[in-house]
Amino acid sequence: MALATDQTTDLAAALEACASGDRNGLRQIFDHEAGKLVAVAQRIVRRRDLAEEVVQEAFIRIWTHAHQYAPDRGSARGWIYAIVRNRALNMLRDGRREDLVGEDGLEALQDSEQQEEIMAAWHRLDRDSRLKECLGGLDDTKRRGILMAYVGGYTHGEIAGRLKLPLGTAKSWIRRGLLSLRECMA
Amino acid sequence: MRIDPADIPTIADEYVLGLLDEAEAAAVEAEIERNAELAAAIAKARERFLPLDTSIEPKTVSPTLWDAIAKRLPDNTGNTSIRSVSPRLPSAGNDNGRSGWRAAAISAMAASLILAGGLIWSVTRTIEPLVVAVLLNEAGEVQAVVEDFGNDTASVRLLADFAVPADKTMQVWTLPSREMGPMSLGLLEGPQSKTLSGSTLPKPQDTQLYEITLEQAGGSPTGRPTGPILAKGFAKLAR
Repeated sequence: MALATDQTTDLAAALEACASGDRNGLRQIFDHEAGKLVAVAQRIVRRRDLAEEVVQEAFIRIWTHAHQYAPDRGSARGWIYAIVRNRALNMLRDGRREDLVGEDGLEALQDSEQQEEIMAAWHRLDRDSRLKECLGGLDDTKRRGILMAYVGGYTHGEIAGRLKLPLGTAKSWIRRGLLSLRECMA
Repeated sequence: MRIDPADIPTIADEYVLGLLDEAEAAAVEAEIERNAELAAAIAKARERFLPLDTSIEPKTVSPTLWDAIAKRLPDNTGNTSIRSVSPRLPSAGNDNGRSGWRAAAISAMAASLILAGGLIWSVTRTIEPLVVAVLLNEAGEVQAVVEDFGNDTASVRLLADFAVPADKTMQVWTLPSREMGPMSLGLLEGPQSKTLSGSTLPKPQDTQLYEITLEQAGGSPTGRPTGPILAKGFAKLAR
């Protein structure tokens, strides 16, 4: 626990260094987190080269926006990951998902691989993690919908399509799932 | 955007999950700045889902990635300045404290000196900007130059091509102080250079932030930037 706290403090200090123009701050964040950040981006954009492009852009944004980070708005780690996630999602939403998948057969194959990867994110959580337990308490469809959105970057429409649900139903199931999750984790 | 407080937890979750469409997400991002409850709910939602990311197996990073980042980093020294921009706005007119009166007298004297100086200056010289800001995009490439004359006019020279959809417009902003927040300098109807006038703002200062965002046609509905930032930069005093 102490270690986790120390790491958080380090990232906050590193962001402060970035804000004052010290590149070592950014380098420190890169050395600690880049491997995971590339993996998170790749889970969303699917392609390695695009994932690195996402992380590259995200680090420039971290550098130029570090002065906006405020510790009362959550952890430095959460702030940094959110920037990478947003970049990755923007790349998808800019219509590059079609770049990412080729012929139909390949798409289907990649899709099933990604589904496995999405569920793996849940299984990989610490056994005693509250999030793992609370996700486990949801019905399968709600859990899958939430994980597809967060882990895979799927939209409401894509989730509805893959879960074979009408759009409105998918939306309201995810909403109800999110509510149960908030209550469970409160 | 008006947000019903009862909807905040859901909106925060959906924002963090990436389920909002582009316009909704942009509206949330604009709202965060003035809605502490929303900001707190988003921070909580981020922390709630973060373990799904931090528990991931790290990838081996290309050895060239850091160099590619380092090469594109703009100079960040401006950031510290924006934080420390202390707005020297005159205190309110009904401030009856002694220092208030003294400040008023001094600023009145200063104002008349500036006016006299300005009159001489304006008849003897062509007008020059008080500050110049070079605006960069996120990649650190030069996009535009803003020259603020401090006399209600600013000129914007675009140095890159901008693709502006028919239902959008480019809007130019500046941040005279944190307290005032971002203020509009005006709209660019097409992606062309333009002289903007009519905004009455405090005299531009060194390191003041200038920004161009993409807003809906007719300009931001909230009077604050809501759309994506196309370019931004910090002013330097012309000398």
